[in-house]
Amino acid sequence: MTDEDDFAEDRYGVPPMLQSQARLDRVLVRVQDLTAEKAGQLLWVRARIHTSRAKGKQCFLVLRQQQFNVQALVAVGDRASKQMVKFAANITKESIVDVEGVVRKVEQKIESCTQQDVELHIERIFVVSQAEPRLPLQLEDAVRPEGEGDEEGRATVNQDTRLDNRVIDLRTTTSQAIFRLQSGVCQLFRDTLTSKGFVEIQTPKIISAASEGGANVFTVSYFKTSAYLAQSPQLYKQMCICADFDKVFCVGPVFRAEDSNTHRHLTEFVGLDIEMTFNYHYHEVVESIADTMVQIFKGLRDRYEFQTEIQTVNKQYPSEPFKFLEPTLRLEYWEAVAMLRQAGVEMGDEDDLSTPNEKLLGRLVKEKYDTDFYVLDKYPLAVRPFYTMPDPSNPKYSNSYDMFMRGEEILSGAQRVHDAELLTERALHHNIDLEKIKAYIDSFRFGAPPHAGGGIGLERVTMLYLGLHNVRQTSMFPRDPKRLTP
Amino acid sequence: MSMYQIRPTSRSDVEFDLPICMYKLANIHSQQSRRADDDEAHQNWQVYPEVKALQNRQDEIMRQLYELEAVVSGLTKMVNTPDVDLDAASMSQASVGSALSNSLDLDQLLRQDCGTPRDIVINANPAQPPLSLLVLHSMLCQRYSVLSGIHMHSSVFAVPPELLSCLGPPIINGCSRQHFQLIFTIIWKDVPRVQLKFNTRRMCTVEGEGNVARFLYRLLLAPAKDPALATVMDSWVDTALFQLAEGCAKEQKAVVQALNFTLTKNLWLAGPELSLADVLCACWLMQTGIAATVPIKVHKWLESCENSGHFCGVYSLLRK
Repeated sequence: MTDEDDFAEDRYGVPPMLQSQARLDRVLVRVQDLTAEKAGQLLWVRARIHTSRAKGKQCFLVLRQQQFNVQALVAVGDRASKQMVKFAANITKESIVDVEGVVRKVEQKIESCTQQDVELHIERIFVVSQAEPRLPLQLEDAVRPEGEGDEEGRATVNQDTRLDNRVIDLRTTTSQAIFRLQSGVCQLFRDTLTSKGFVEIQTPKIISAASEGGANVFTVSYFKTSAYLAQSPQLYKQMCICADFDKVFCVGPVFRAEDSNTHRHLTEFVGLDIEMTFNYHYHEVVESIADTMVQIFKGLRDRYEFQTEIQTVNKQYPSEPFKFLEPTLRLEYWEAVAMLRQAGVEMGDEDDLSTPNEKLLGRLVKEKYDTDFYVLDKYPLAVRPFYTMPDPSNPKYSNSYDMFMRGEEILSGAQRVHDAELLTERALHHNIDLEKIKAYIDSFRFGAPPHAGGGIGLERVTMLYLGLHNVRQTSMFPRDPKRLTP
Repeated sequence: MSMYQIRPTSRSDVEFDLPICMYKLANIHSQQSRRADDDEAHQNWQVYPEVKALQNRQDEIMRQLYELEAVVSGLTKMVNTPDVDLDAASMSQASVGSALSNSLDLDQLLRQDCGTPRDIVINANPAQPPLSLLVLHSMLCQRYSVLSGIHMHSSVFAVPPELLSCLGPPIINGCSRQHFQLIFTIIWKDVPRVQLKFNTRRMCTVEGEGNVARFLYRLLLAPAKDPALATVMDSWVDTALFQLAEGCAKEQKAVVQALNFTLTKNLWLAGPELSLADVLCACWLMQTGIAATVPIKVHKWLESCENSGHFCGVYSLLRK
């Protein structure tokens, strides 16, 4: 058969690049909306070619749109020629196509697709954007559950390959689900705090001095001088408190120049920070922050769309469902030490918790209370920063707390010293150069309400909620000591 | 007709001279003096070196025990001194006799080391709240300084508000958990039966309302010295749980008759005061709704239970 014989030649092809030449009066139906109710309808769909398989006079395609996919069929007949089938079979994977087809119910459910009850019988197919034939990674390989590939001799994709080709890796159903859920965490955080009367603030990220002791800061050139990237919005949150905002929160990037190549450290992450005044006791703040976390967990648990995302992630990375208590369990540091000692750990009353001990404690707490989220209160003063308020009844301890998810710390917070004199004394005790923190101390000279706060990392919360093992999986374009691209 | 026939290996008419005493000992009555006893014993020790070794071993164990006792009492003084006053105060209010008074006793009862948190965690299903445990909680509060907490586990989606306050108003004074002798935590959770967790490393989970109630009740009293009374109490606990709670109407009626019979002669079901037997039976009578139609003696006994002051939480829950 020659080209002249192709009766369907205007039904397929690669049209000129879409440069907004015309605005067609055409409705594009979402793949997720292709259900049995639409059976018999002729409609247009824009999707990626996920897979294609030609067999004789027909070609099966799987069309994917985000996390949804549907089986499509081009078969030689009244509407499709042999050439059209060949054209469809040769479209490279990941290309974007516009197809017109009739929705048909199928007798047997299509297990491999999200739209299991229907398939699309294609009558027209046009390539909108063609993908290069060689993909740096195959999406099927990238969603294969851990360990399954090893057993069956199939390929899996290592993390660096994923991150180097993040655009493709983010197309996988797992990545789609992770970042949709992360968006949910952020949205629930905002909604909950707003309903509690908090005000969202924006704080500068280029600062003149290190805002917090301990973590290293990135230096950037700033015209004729140097500046730093903010390692915490704490100072600005506290200044807002001193400016009578009462309850503030901010969502923004936080930079830490720590050369930590671990599963949970990033040099840039999204900080969700809270600061609020209290009336009489900093536990008012602890309860408020913990309740915010519980509302996030409940939102993820109760909303159908998030449950779907969680199930999608669990297919590739199985994990126990996240458990929590309402109100949140609050243990004190001495209890944690006693529990660890009972489990055979040798540590002093004022020793800080090492990462393995934190994990062990998480397991012990889970065994007894069956919760993956808890607050550990009353840390030893010696292991906390200088601005932490000492405990009024025991000078060894402090009014500070950490929050843990699945045995890993997600939030560190405290009642802040709001008295300039005591702050100076504490800074001197820590051998901190007063000149460097003068601006911080001065903030409290004109009357400051008692307040407390803390900050969490969005990526870490998402990782731990989903039971993932690396924070890079929940950072869209992760930054760590060894990665600055893409 | 037997399947196998075997010839006897011994004759059945043989007479054996069996000993009637397994170990022969010298008759102590026939001995003349204590001195003689000592001498003989002394000689025996000389004769049997293993006896001497045993005695040495026992002496060593006793010495170690004395040392341990000294260490523990030293630690008690150091750790529990502030608690002694609290206990003394609660002792004066106590209605249950032969009570133990301080944290050391509590540690001994709970079989744990001094200084470790005494946090009793109870998982219960909100669909069937264990009312008896609320009564026992009230009794514990009278005996010890108790920090009570209620949580809702993520496995349940909603809990009636009265169940979230069934242990009384929360303590919000910001006091450290260390200042309480006992921490009592209820977690409303999707569990088939009540569970109690204490030291998850050393003891397994206690399951079932009866067993949990027994565990808690033992924190109120010294180990029962009267096994007969303990048996009666245990029997009533089982009756409450198997016949009142789970039994048919006929069984429940039989229990009411038995209660009436016992309460005609006694004020309480087991012993001279309110006990675990009364707590379980009264709670399940109320929970099953039989309490409204009981004979006069049982009714009076229920009133006595109410007047004890420990059933307030139960009544307020049942009224809602």
